[in-house]
Amino acid sequence: MSSTLKKTIPVLIVSIVAILVMMDYFLAAPPTDAAGKSWTSGVVKDLQNWGIILTAFALGFGAVNLFYFHSKHISRRTPDQWMFSLWLLIVIVIFTAIGVYMGPTSTTYNWLYNSSYFALSATVYSSLGFYMTSGLYRALRLKNIDSGIFLVVGLIALLRNAPAVAVWFPILIPWEKFIADVITTSAQRGIMIGGALGAISLGIRTMTGRETGFLGKLTEEERGGRAA
Amino acid sequence: MSGNKKDIWDMLSDIPREVLYGILIVVFVIPMIYPLGLPVPISDNVRRWYNHIESMPAGSVVMIDFGYSGGGEPELGPMAVAVYNHLFEKGMKVVAMSTSIEGPQLWDKAMAEIRPERFGAQYGVDYINIGYIAGTETAMAAVGKDLRATTSTDYKGTSLSQYPIMEGITDATSFDLLIVYTTGGDQSEGWVRQWYTVYGTPYLCSVLAMMIPTMLPYQNAGQIVAVTSGAMAGQMELLVGVPARGIKSADVITLTHLLVFAYVVIGNVALLAKKAQGGGK
Repeated sequence: MSSTLKKTIPVLIVSIVAILVMMDYFLAAPPTDAAGKSWTSGVVKDLQNWGIILTAFALGFGAVNLFYFHSKHISRRTPDQWMFSLWLLIVIVIFTAIGVYMGPTSTTYNWLYNSSYFALSATVYSSLGFYMTSGLYRALRLKNIDSGIFLVVGLIALLRNAPAVAVWFPILIPWEKFIADVITTSAQRGIMIGGALGAISLGIRTMTGRETGFLGKLTEEERGGRAA
Repeated sequence: MSGNKKDIWDMLSDIPREVLYGILIVVFVIPMIYPLGLPVPISDNVRRWYNHIESMPAGSVVMIDFGYSGGGEPELGPMAVAVYNHLFEKGMKVVAMSTSIEGPQLWDKAMAEIRPERFGAQYGVDYINIGYIAGTETAMAAVGKDLRATTSTDYKGTSLSQYPIMEGITDATSFDLLIVYTTGGDQSEGWVRQWYTVYGTPYLCSVLAMMIPTMLPYQNAGQIVAVTSGAMAGQMELLVGVPARGIKSADVITLTHLLVFAYVVIGNVALLAKKAQGGGK
């Protein structure tokens, strides 16, 4: 009974939903309406909207979970942590209060976002430029043939992407185009096709109940194996 | 070299990061304060993007996804502003949405920079923002299938039926063009799967420079009309004729790239010199 509730029914739901969504994406299964839309269209539309509602709910649930997790740090006075947890909760409360009472499109909310989170996140992201500079200086060294190829390709891409240099040395443009369109694209396509095949096999395993990670922690018996 | 004493090649092959960073800051700040006006070439992809919008008739309906986060704004924001200028100048109808939760705030920021009233564009008549829609790829699919069933209000909470621009806009087939600015691979690739593949909507995509290799296969397969990085914003500003943040950063990009080139050359010369002395690894 527990295996039916915990595994069979959820896997059945996932399989039916997945088949419906795939049918709607790839086929126009009859019967169709006057506009040529399949019967699956309306069903999948509802499913997608449920998905959006569930995702939005998960965002709220994540905030609650964050509160629970960091409250424990504050109450336990975890060294080197509790003050950051307290600060995080204060920020959440301020943003939530202003967002709820004044609206997330209000001038006050926008000011708060622009002068705190936006400025900080842009700064943190921009600081990557420093690490990348130092990293390139140390990594692009001619130590052997492999690193030599890496060095040459890296320098061509680097110089081509400097706007004025591409004007001064236009020969860089076809070189970089060859690297991007032939070498990079062919390698990237291989990676993408590999990833897609992996996603297909994961999907089939999930629909047939062989992949149970999304069901949470199950016992061996619930997974379909033998009881210990 | 004797004992622990470092010679010039040792020092040049291991320059302290504080020195590297210090010089980088100087090279970065100078063109920000005193723009140098270095030449900026127009790349094929930026020209293809520009020409595609140029070829569209006035009144065409465009969907824009503000799918980037605050961290990506300095790179993607200038491109978004330049393209919006072009769309308004051409008299397009623009519907914006966000697959990033910060999108509505960043859209407000872009609008403050664009000032649509300069083009006589009115909110709700010529452009609108339907806000953040959760679910990333599910959101794209749902909006493409039935926009009104997915959201009934704009980002301020006002009913969409009150806005003239939304008359006749029902699903992806109502749009003549899709433009996406994003810092996430889920978004940039998701729109190919959920809009181009299903509805054939022409798609222009602007991403972070480091994401370009991931997106090029889609462009080379014809699924995306043009992929650009935010770092190309200066080129778009030149074509549109509205120089702003992008063109200013083009000088910075040139100088910082040349500095990195110089660092790499110094590092390699030092390494080769040490090898010649018999000390290199």
